[in-house]
Amino acid sequence: MNDITEIRWHGRGGQGAVTSAELLALTAIKEGNIAQAFPSFGPERRGAPVIAFNRISAGKPIRSRAAIAEPDIVVVLDPGLLGIIDVTRGLRDGGVLIVNSSKGLATVNSEIGGPWKLAVVDATAIARDILKRPIVNTAMLGALIKATGVVNLESLTQPLEERFGKLSEINVQACSKAYKEAVVMEYSPGVKKAEKVYPIEKSLSWKELNLGFVVTEMGNARSYRTGYWKSERPVRDNAKCIKCGMCALFCPEDCIHQDAEGYFEADEFYCKGCGICARECWTGAITMVEA
Amino acid sequence: MERRVAFESSFAIAEAVKMADIDVCAAYPITPQTHIVERVAQLVANGELDANYIPVESEHSALSACLGSSAAGGRTFTATAGQGLELMHEVVYVASGMRLPIVMSVCNRALSVPLSIWGDHSDVMSVRDTGWIQIFAENAQQAFDLTLCAFHIAEDPAVLLPTMIHIDGFHLSHVIEPVLLPEQEKVTRFLPKYHHPFALDVNNPAAMGDFALPDLYTEAKVAHDMALRNSIKVILQVWQKFGEEFGREYSPVETYGAEDADILLLTMGSFSEVAMEAIDRLKRAGEKVGLVRLRLWRPFPFEQFRQTVGRAKLLIVLDRALSVGGPGPVCSEVQAALYHLKERPQVIGFIGGLGGRDISVEGFQNMIHRGMDKASQGKPGEIEVFDVREK
Ligand code: SF4
Ligand code: SF4
Repeated sequence: MNDITEIRWHGRGGQGAVTSAELLALTAIKEGNIAQAFPSFGPERRGAPVIAFNRISAGKPIRSRAAIAEPDIVVVLDPGLLGIIDVTRGLRDGGVLIVNSSKGLATVNSEIGGPWKLAVVDATAIARDILKRPIVNTAMLGALIKATGVVNLESLTQPLEERFGKLSEINVQACSKAYKEAVVMEYSPGVKKAEKVYPIEKSLSWKELNLGFVVTEMGNARSYRTGYWKSERPVRDNAKCIKCGMCALFCPEDCIHQDAEGYFEADEFYCKGCGICARECWTGAITMVEA
Repeated sequence: MERRVAFESSFAIAEAVKMADIDVCAAYPITPQTHIVERVAQLVANGELDANYIPVESEHSALSACLGSSAAGGRTFTATAGQGLELMHEVVYVASGMRLPIVMSVCNRALSVPLSIWGDHSDVMSVRDTGWIQIFAENAQQAFDLTLCAFHIAEDPAVLLPTMIHIDGFHLSHVIEPVLLPEQEKVTRFLPKYHHPFALDVNNPAAMGDFALPDLYTEAKVAHDMALRNSIKVILQVWQKFGEEFGREYSPVETYGAEDADILLLTMGSFSEVAMEAIDRLKRAGEKVGLVRLRLWRPFPFEQFRQTVGRAKLLIVLDRALSVGGPGPVCSEVQAALYHLKERPQVIGFIGGLGGRDISVEGFQNMIHRGMDKASQGKPGEIEVFDVREK
């Protein structure tokens, strides 16, 4: 590895990728290293794919503030991202890939293996079990530490306490459990990255833009499948539902519509699994289940 | 028949606006621009101009209303000055970014503090980088002619950029002079109809003024920049056509007695005519001096400018704005434009005519001599504020 270890986190808005990067930097700095943590700056939307970054060095000053294109380590918080984003793009030969998945090491390796060390942990199950919520960031920190040793597991406790207060204890538990359960496949040189085509959005040149940056494809947000973003989906209990429509009123994607029987049904294509409908339903008719 | 009338520049501009048969004027009155918008409002009220006059509560709203009307495909005019332009500032960028060909008269005025209603070019410099075409008039006739041309240039399908016509506050806005007014028929023939390719249309919806991620912002800015730079071709064409139709010639860089001059003075706006008088007097005394008048401020006419001044020995630049703690804004731009030339004149900058302070004919003679002295003493560097009391 280089003098500066570069880490890229892939997650979704609300899963805590940015918090993971922050906690890692706090821990590394506390251990006497130099470190950086930053998100990919932009509009925030729960469920949307997000990226966060770390740079860690034992002594060499860190000067670059640019997004990391060729990371040494990649951490994927959401298994659903694997099909739609090229998470290993630029990952260096001999680097480390850490994936949250329930599918196990062999399956993940067949899907996304390459010339790097691979670590797999079912962080969602750990989070659901211990935190009672699918926020996987602290569990993934445990898996990262096991696979890379960038910081020591014990050093993480204080930053977790400062960050989570009363909730720190269960987060420490989640982190330790993932540390224990993560399974690791060592790097074997010469392995090729699996061929896979990812959708690439072509960036326009200045000559291709409309005059005055006018957008003429009206309603083009309709083709944006926010349903890809979810890790949970709402399920309604008709026995409790009183057809009041409150859930539809609060849905940020405006994707809940009344069906022929009068029930308010979420459209799978757009539902991003934010859980707001479940929280707003005052009869408790909606529960969020794994997507 | 062409008519010869006595008009201040404000009325000459209102007359051009009437003859251009605008659809909308949204404006907020501010000294020294008041006469323009009062006159336009009066023409609308009298039924002489069939347009919507929108009185608004601020300059920010004035230009915002103009965005709407121009985007809907209406020929749109507004006017402001000094502090009003400052209050409008945010929307000034929006109008050009959205490529809306609004024509705006700016009655150049000093900026607070101290509060001053009088003229200088501080307000011009504050909107230097806003992406509008910017043209200076030197008298009431030019104010009329150039306002008319401004609609033609701004609305040209190859341009579609808002355009400012700068007139000096009071020195132009409030001074009565003779003005030739062409026949309406000729003006109507001269000015094509305005058509915006993305004009607001409920049957063909479009989003204007959209958001760009870092991935596209640079490209959008470059597209705007290229459009502004390329607009010079259309500016030249329109001024040539105007010359052919109406007999008065305009060009991006104009001169007076500069043909065989070694020493050139550069001015913008109404002070150019005062300076002409000084040039005449010095020439009579056998001095090889001449005048350069920068008519087109944006896009900066690099090529024409270099051709005009490249061979002179000394170029004296008058800035009517003080960039506090920095160089004279016109002077530094001129120096940058000349820097790459192998042979270039020495450049000496003066700052003067601030907040309505006059510079007389004698004043310009003194300025030129002072510049020559500094050049011969080899002390060109220091910025000098002309006519300032040291004690
Ligand atoms: S808010 Fe709850 S009770 Fe009301 S319609 Fe939605 S699911 Fe039914
Ligand atoms: S249906 Fe519920 S979970 Fe899905 S986007 Fe709407 S509020 Fe969020």
